[in-house]
Amino acid sequence: MIEVQHLTKQYGAFTAVEDVSFTVERGEILGFLGPNGAGKTTTMRMVTGYMPPSRGRAIVAGYDIFEQPIEAKKRIGYLPETPPLYPDMTVRDYLTFVAKIRGVPRAERRSRVDTMMARTHVADMAGRHCGKLSKGYRQRVGLAQALLHDPDVLVLDEPTAGLDPKQIIETRQLIRELAGNHSVILSTHILPEVSQTCQRVVIINHGHVVAVDTPANLTARLRGSETIYVLVDGGGADVASALTAVPGVTSVAVTGTDAGALACEVASHTGHDVRRDLAAAIVGAGWGLLEMRPMRMSLEDIFLHLTTEDSAEQPQIPEEHAVHG
Amino acid sequence: MGNVIAIAQKELKGYFASPIAYVVIGFFALMFGYFYYALLVFFQQQSMQAGGFGGPEALDVNQQLIRPVFLNASVIVLFVLPMVTMRTYAEEKRSGTIELLLTAPLTDVQIILGKFFGAMALYAAMLAVTVVHVAVLFLFGNPEWRPVVTGYLGLLLMGGCFVATGLLISSLTKNQIVAGMVTFAVFLMLWVINWVASFQGPTAQAVLNYLSVTEHLDDFTRGILDTKHLVYYLSFITFGLYLTVRAVDTERWKG
Repeated sequence: MIEVQHLTKQYGAFTAVEDVSFTVERGEILGFLGPNGAGKTTTMRMVTGYMPPSRGRAIVAGYDIFEQPIEAKKRIGYLPETPPLYPDMTVRDYLTFVAKIRGVPRAERRSRVDTMMARTHVADMAGRHCGKLSKGYRQRVGLAQALLHDPDVLVLDEPTAGLDPKQIIETRQLIRELAGNHSVILSTHILPEVSQTCQRVVIINHGHVVAVDTPANLTARLRGSETIYVLVDGGGADVASALTAVPGVTSVAVTGTDAGALACEVASHTGHDVRRDLAAAIVGAGWGLLEMRPMRMSLEDIFLHLTTEDSAEQPQIPEEHAVHG
Repeated sequence: MGNVIAIAQKELKGYFASPIAYVVIGFFALMFGYFYYALLVFFQQQSMQAGGFGGPEALDVNQQLIRPVFLNASVIVLFVLPMVTMRTYAEEKRSGTIELLLTAPLTDVQIILGKFFGAMALYAAMLAVTVVHVAVLFLFGNPEWRPVVTGYLGLLLMGGCFVATGLLISSLTKNQIVAGMVTFAVFLMLWVINWVASFQGPTAQAVLNYLSVTEHLDDFTRGILDTKHLVYYLSFITFGLYLTVRAVDTERWKG
């Protein structure tokens, strides 16, 4: 549905986005993740035809956005970072205007505007001027605007920014519902949003794609090794050496004490479940096993890992999960 | 075409939803009314004096009153139109709504024509106010109607040149005040550019006279419909709009 190939955008000597490639299938939600200034908005602006790329191309619903902009744009709904509202227009007038320029047939305009206002929960503000809306309403009118013409492709730049928690949940729910027959690109810097809404994630930093994968795979692949947290009571200094002796364990780090019990992080090879042996070793030695849980790398850790300046700390991404293209 | 109308309607509604339309039309009506009154009493006095020598003598209302009224109106237009055009692009760029227009299935030409006709519709509404003043003259006097029609046509075309120039300048900046000020300066220059003409050589004189936007208006107010002026105004408008298309496209590439 969306095919982005080697997109590059240069402003003079500054390269905002370099060689970004990804694809989005029909019905898929792609999360676009990156710190502020990473090139998310620039990429989205190129995909939606707001600005032409310096190099590379974007194909939306089978039409090259640069070669056949009108056909491609008919199939895109776009919510920019700032909802593009006219402050002097009422919500209904505004949506009717957008329906007109997006080519919704005259006979359907009214009903589509009504439907979208209901779906995005802005119907109670239909007669209010856009300039007088709260941030949450502005954001949702912006979303309604992007959905009016029932586009194949939805490009949403931080759609939940400025919403309260209830509205965030409703909006995410709406986006998930839409994914059925639309393809969605959703940019965000809110990490839980990605794991809750998106099937695949593109992480971008300094204009480069650093990872493309499902949230679950990213978590698994980037861990490299499994780490298990154990809390052992009554072992004293012997615990560390006893745990190191368990087959499969690569290292043991004592991270502190908790009411006399010793807290350890036990690292082991991936795919080698050492929990059973660890438990046996601890209990066998007559100590108390108070707590044991796997330490998963959260998306947050991965994100920080991938986007921090120190590239030496960047985990190597297996080739098949790196960018295709 | 439907898209052009949609944008033009949006522009026009935008003028009337904000105070702009009312301030602009109000200011224009006030100034026009004042000039009209001043010229009318002057005309009245002149015809009294003319009547004093050997019987009543009717002066030419068209030449002595309507023509100066139209020429004065063109000066007010010069002040008012920058306020209409300064926001057209600058405001869309500042508020980000330009992203909506540029990512909608519209061509640049459609957007620019829509904005042009939107501003022209407001300008026409402004001129429509003055029909009342002219109607009074028809009620109590006996003017020729043809020079009145050509006069209005001339004002519309001259305004078209100003609107096209204003659009171009507004498309080059994000700042409304800058757009308004530069537009005003350019309009003023286009108005007075031939004042120095008589001190130049014959070629420069002809060029400067030809460039002056108001110079071409004069024949219209006399009731003369000359193709050379029509060509001047229409090519001016087309060129202005063409440059705006190029400017918007360039802006797009710069990002």
